[in-house]
This record gives sequence, structure tokens and C-alpha cells, in this order.
Amino acid sequence: MTSRKKALSGGSGSALILPWLVGTLILVLVPLLVSIALSFLHWDGVDITDVEWVSTRNYKELLGSNSMTGSNQLEQGNRSLRNSPNGDAQFYRSMENSLVFAVFAAPLNMLVAMCLALLLNTPLKYVGTYRAMVYLPHVLGGVATILIWSWIFNPTFGPVNVTLKHAYEFLDPVIRLFVAGGTDAWKVPGWLTSEAWCKPALICIHAWTAGGSVFIFLAALQGVDSETRLASLLDGADAKQRFLHITLPQLTPAILFTLVTGFVATMQSFNYSYLLYNRAQNDGLLFVVLYVYRCAFEPPYRLGYASAIACVLFLILLIGSLSAVGTSRKWVHYES
Amino acid sequence: MKARYSRPVVRHIVLLCFSALLAIPLAVAISVALSPVEAIYTFPANFLPDHMEWSNFYDAIKRLPFLRFMLNSTVIAIIATTGAVLTSAMAGYAFARLTWRRKRLCVLLLLASLVIPAQMLLIPQFILFSSLGWVNTYKPLIVPAWLGGGAFNVFLFWQFFRTISRDYDDAAKLDGASHWVILTRVIMPMAKPAVATVALLSFVYHWQDFQKPLIYLSDFRTYTVALGLRMYQATGGSWMNLVVAASLVALVPVLVVFLTVQHHIGTCARTITDRN
Repeated sequence: MTSRKKALSGGSGSALILPWLVGTLILVLVPLLVSIALSFLHWDGVDITDVEWVSTRNYKELLGSNSMTGSNQLEQGNRSLRNSPNGDAQFYRSMENSLVFAVFAAPLNMLVAMCLALLLNTPLKYVGTYRAMVYLPHVLGGVATILIWSWIFNPTFGPVNVTLKHAYEFLDPVIRLFVAGGTDAWKVPGWLTSEAWCKPALICIHAWTAGGSVFIFLAALQGVDSETRLASLLDGADAKQRFLHITLPQLTPAILFTLVTGFVATMQSFNYSYLLYNRAQNDGLLFVVLYVYRCAFEPPYRLGYASAIACVLFLILLIGSLSAVGTSRKWVHYES
Repeated sequence: MKARYSRPVVRHIVLLCFSALLAIPLAVAISVALSPVEAIYTFPANFLPDHMEWSNFYDAIKRLPFLRFMLNSTVIAIIATTGAVLTSAMAGYAFARLTWRRKRLCVLLLLASLVIPAQMLLIPQFILFSSLGWVNTYKPLIVPAWLGGGAFNVFLFWQFFRTISRDYDDAAKLDGASHWVILTRVIMPMAKPAVATVALLSFVYHWQDFQKPLIYLSDFRTYTVALGLRMYQATGGSWMNLVVAASLVALVPVLVVFLTVQHHIGTCARTITDRN
């Protein structure tokens, strides 16, 4: 009886699990292995007989190698275009850009989401409407809103700089009392058209979508032990003490989760980079995923080289996530 | 309790300020979309246009086959969302209710696919789909949704189904119901918050997706809204009022879907994380 029951549920179960299993094998597991394999190959994606095993040459070109191997490769007359012992400068630039963006944007969004959740975690009137308002930018974030933001940060006519210029005019008489010339010498930032300001502008744009994580924090706040809180109230703990010693420790799992997923997501962002890239930024918004895209899908279609970049990115994400989880024992509060 | 929930007025004011901050970009967009083109390229700018140029919306839609793009995106998003909800609910049900050999391995696979970066899989997937001759079709955008619909959605259904009592399954089994009937007639009607959340996330993902259409679609009649907007940005950049008007039109379907199902999201998050 039991064996028959098991067999029955097993048979039916495999039918239900099948689409997911097939999808995961064909679209995730195999591509993962292919991606690693491709990074050791040279292929332009046209003719399958043209595939060439190049061992670690892609990685050497990417990361740079010791002086000897670099000259050896040149003698071999390989097809790599920018082979230098220091590695691919554009790759390093793009990795740096992505890292700077992720390191600032992910924690900022986490903080904003946490503050919003703390504000929303009350039996307030219209709290449902506020929650919807806060979550809305997350679903609206896409090409359309990026284009709207690019107008908002337009250096000449955009609302941000227009407001700044008005503020300068307004402050001018006061500044003039202390500094000769007043605000005449003050300039407005070029935002997305300047190398220095494009990343701060983008971090602001990204912060607009922070509400996406609010529900994670709200759920975590609901898990905050009401007995502990009541006990602390009876013991006369004030709001600051209660936040630091009761609420915050119980939020640490949500903080860890939001930080790690935020870091992984921002490191992989493509749309900002593709849509807002312009020459004036001097490659300031060239993110690593855009560079992968260019290597793979623009001539000379270097699929193997692009895969090598993707593998390096994967490794960095893995190291970043694992080290965050590794330190979590020290600061994340897990319920026993 | 009184100490904690004091000063609701302050909270209202802070929340209103936050909401205003979030709404400003949209307000600016509406103002620009309703301005004549001369008005937006002047200084000092006039954020309240003297007269509303409602014809901007008409022009924005007419300049490119924008309604065609909207239709394309709608078709893709609806078919893909249907597949994602269905197949991820099936897998979620299997994980929550069934046992089979190598289930532990499958759980491991699910958790692993949650953390594998999507960008890593892009090139091999492109090679696969192009060798199948699927480039310039919607298949690369739709078929993956019908094959599990994303690890996160499977995980969400699994966790939600766990909170539903097995007594319902047993009652249905006594009546001779198969797993398929239990899932579609018993469990899914009780899991409306999860269905709504997965449907919203999936619809938004497919509507907003830019990178995959960019890689797979080259004929501009097959373009999605996201690609159409990019085309607008590249060709009509000096008519910013029209670009912004088109952007606003592109946001309407997402807004409608969101407002229809948003009250379910909180319920879904609460149910899954409830520790009782």
C-alpha cells in the first residue's frame, strides 16, 4: 500500500516538476557549464567548426599577465586586439565602475527601505495607500523611467539644475556679504554628462526604486517579538534603546538579505549603463555587463572573451556574497 | 503601547513627504509631456505649462508604430505571465507536497539557480536559441517562462503552499482527485495572494525587460515597448516632450496591473514569513 502510494505520488509529481526541471537544466545548469567552457575558447559565434581552444589566453588578456606571456602571445599572432601585460584597461574600468555603483547604491537602498518600513509598520490610517506609493517606483523602474530621469538631470533645462540655479540666485545677496562675486563662479553639475557626477546621479536614480525591499523589512518587523518589546517597555526602555537592542537585532537577517541581493542585482545592471551611456562621461557609466554585451554582440563578436568576463564577474559576486554571509555570524541575529 | 504609537501626525507628515519625493519624477514627467517643445527648452523653465498640449500624446504615439509596440509587449507579457504562474505553481506544489527520489538534489538545484547570476547565462542561452532558429521570434522571451518561470517564483509558491493545511488535500484525495485537480481546484484558489504576486512580478519583468528583446529582436515591427522607447531616445532626443509622453504611455499597463493586485502583495509576504 505504502509503496503503491509512493509510486503514485512519485509519478504524478514528476509530471508537475518536469517543466521546471527541464528549464533549470537547459537554461541554467548547462549554460553555466557552457559559459565556463566558452571562456577557454575563441569563437565568433558564426561557424561551429571555427571554435578554437585557447586555454587561459582570454583570462591573460583580460587580467593581464607577466611580461613574458604577453610577448609570446603577440608572436603567436593571435586575434586579440588589445593585448597588454597590464590586462584590458576597459575591463578594469568597467569593473571599477560597477563596483563603485554597487558599493554605494546597495547599502543606500537598503537604508531607505528600512527607514520606510519602520515608518510604515504602524496601525496608521491610509497605511495601505502609503505602502502602495512606496512600492510603486519599484514596478515602474524600466526604460521609461530611465528616460524621464535623464530629462530630470538634463544639465541645462532639467528640473534639478534649474532649481539649483534658482537657489544660487536666491542665495547670491547673502553670499556676496562674505565672498566677492557671490555665486557668480558657482557652477551647476553636469550630472549624466560629466565623468565626476554621472555616478552620484545614477545612485540617486537607483535610490528611487528602493521601495522594492520594503516588504522584506515589513515582514521582518512583524516577526519582532512582542513579548520582548512589552517586557522592555515595562522595564522603562526608551525608544532609542528599544530600537537599538530589540528592533535592530531582529532586522539583521533582512539587512543581510537586502544587502547581498542588492549588491548582486546592481553589479548586474545593464539598462542604466546602456541607456545613459554617453561620450561626455568618459566611460564613467561603462558597467561590466555592458562591456560583456559589447564584446559578445558587437563586432568582432568575441563570445569566448565575453564569457571570460562574465566568469570573472560571477567569481566576484560569489566572493562578495560569501564574505557577507561569512561575517554574518558576528552581527546577524538568528532565532534559536 | 501608547508610547510606541504616539504622534501619528508626525508619521503622516514624514510619509507624505516621502510619497511626494517619490511622486516628483512622475509629476515632472507629466508636466513635460504636456508642454510644447519650445517651453521645455527655455530658461527659466515653467513647470506649469500655460496651456496643455494634449496633442503631444497623440504625436508621440503616431511618430513611431508605438501602438504596435504596445500590442507586441502585451502579447509577450500575457503569454509569458500565464506560463510563469502555471509552471512555477506546479513546481511549488511538487516541492511542498510530493516526495520523489532525488528530491533533495532538486531542492539544491532550486536554491543554486536562485543565486546564479542571470548575466552569466546570457551568451550560452543566445547560442542555444539562435541554433534553434529562434532569433527574431518571441520564443526566447516566452518559452523560458513556460519552463518553471524563474526560481524565485517557484520558491514563493513552495513557501506559500506550505502554509495551507494538508487536510484540504486529503479531503480532495478521498474524493479521488488527482494532484493536478488538487493544485488547480483546491490549492491555487486558496493561494490568491501568491498567484497575484507572481503574476505581478512576472508581468512587470516581461513588460520592462530590455536586454533580452535587444539581443533577440532586430526587425523593428517586432519591437517591444522598451525597445521602441530606446529607438525614440536615439532618434527623437530633441523632442523630449514626446519621448516623455511616450514613456508615460508605456507605464500605464504596469500601473493598471499593479493597482489591481497590489493589496495581495502584503498578504503574501505576511503569510510566508509568519512563523506560527
